[in-house]
Amino acid sequence: MHTESDEDLVKRIASGDRLAMKVLFSRHQVRVYRFVLRLVRDETLAEDVISDVFMDLWRQADRFEARASVSTWLLAIARNKAWSLLRKRRDAELDEDYAESIEDETDGPEVVLQKQDKGLAIRACLGRLSAEHREVIDLVYYHETSVEEVARIVGIPENTVKTRLFHARKKLGEMLKAAGIDRGWP
Amino acid sequence: MNDSIASDPKRRELEELLPFYANGRISDADKRRVETALAADAELAARLDLIRDDMAETVLLNESLGAPSHNALEKLMAGIEAEARPVPLLARAQENGRGLLGWLGGLLAAQTPRRLAYASAAALALIVLQGVAITGLALRDGGPGFQTASAPGTRASESYVLLSFSPEAKAGEIASFFKRFDASVVDGPRANGFFKVRVGDASLSTAQVDAIAARMKGESAIVSFVAPAP
Repeated sequence: MHTESDEDLVKRIASGDRLAMKVLFSRHQVRVYRFVLRLVRDETLAEDVISDVFMDLWRQADRFEARASVSTWLLAIARNKAWSLLRKRRDAELDEDYAESIEDETDGPEVVLQKQDKGLAIRACLGRLSAEHREVIDLVYYHETSVEEVARIVGIPENTVKTRLFHARKKLGEMLKAAGIDRGWP
Repeated sequence: MNDSIASDPKRRELEELLPFYANGRISDADKRRVETALAADAELAARLDLIRDDMAETVLLNESLGAPSHNALEKLMAGIEAEARPVPLLARAQENGRGLLGWLGGLLAAQTPRRLAYASAAALALIVLQGVAITGLALRDGGPGFQTASAPGTRASESYVLLSFSPEAKAGEIASFFKRFDASVVDGPRANGFFKVRVGDASLSTAQVDAIAARMKGESAIVSFVAPAP
């Protein structure tokens, strides 16, 4: 079966095709939503953000340049909107580390360790990484992006992508170690 | 503890490529460099195992986040309607000063009968194709909602595990593995080598899916990673 490429759909969207918009939305909404939700940690806010992301795409479709994939483009817009929300939320709070201080609803790594599940402990620690570390881990491990794509989405040099990911992985290892799981590194 | 990889610039550079080697988003040249280094450096290989563990758990965590409600699409489409941009064709007709029908009449009158016949056939084909696309979109998954092409098979009416196969597993062994567990692949392989596999319907309890995953994990010659998936 022939599946129309994202780039062709964007061309149709640029000419005002609403059906193409729905197809592109249905193709990417879940991944974009999960990426945003992991950053803002609020389902309603994440839904608002993805509506805004695709609205931007509707308005700017004629300016899309195929230098990056549509998926990278969407994640970059989503990332900017999510961080803008996080910044506003921080401004509204006295605590500068508001985003990091939001309680995760899942058990902490120490609790899940008592339940003897290393996988759960890793997931608990993944939920407790800083937003900067969470996004780079998600982009590489879940969204399967390359160094160049992460650099474009996050807006940082490629070497910084590698260094940031290294520190995110190291931090994850330290959190696991503190919870009683020593994996030999760090 | 002293990190011997971090303190050696050459090994550190290769180490930083490992996540991209694991997710399959690396150039061929870097892939060869990493593979050569992995064959000779056990510490580096151990680091890759950690990355693969973390990657599997990151996938599970994200898959458990579910999907947005229909409100997101409704809000988007309402926003688009509210913005109702002028269609270029209409705008051009309006600029012409004769109105849309006058402009269209003039355009058609200028065409040869054969060209008009081809244009009609093409327009008809387009209408049929759009009809098929709209029907397909509306009937997909038997419900009124939308389903992503990037996350198929995520209906809550079935039970799943996430798994990856051992590099040494043979095709025949994998086929009989699926037969033994009455399982089937619903998504994958992803670039990182994971498959989403259906192991039964939603009537299975969490404990039953855990037990199936544990039995699968026991077949370490065939699978290298198994975990229940949402």
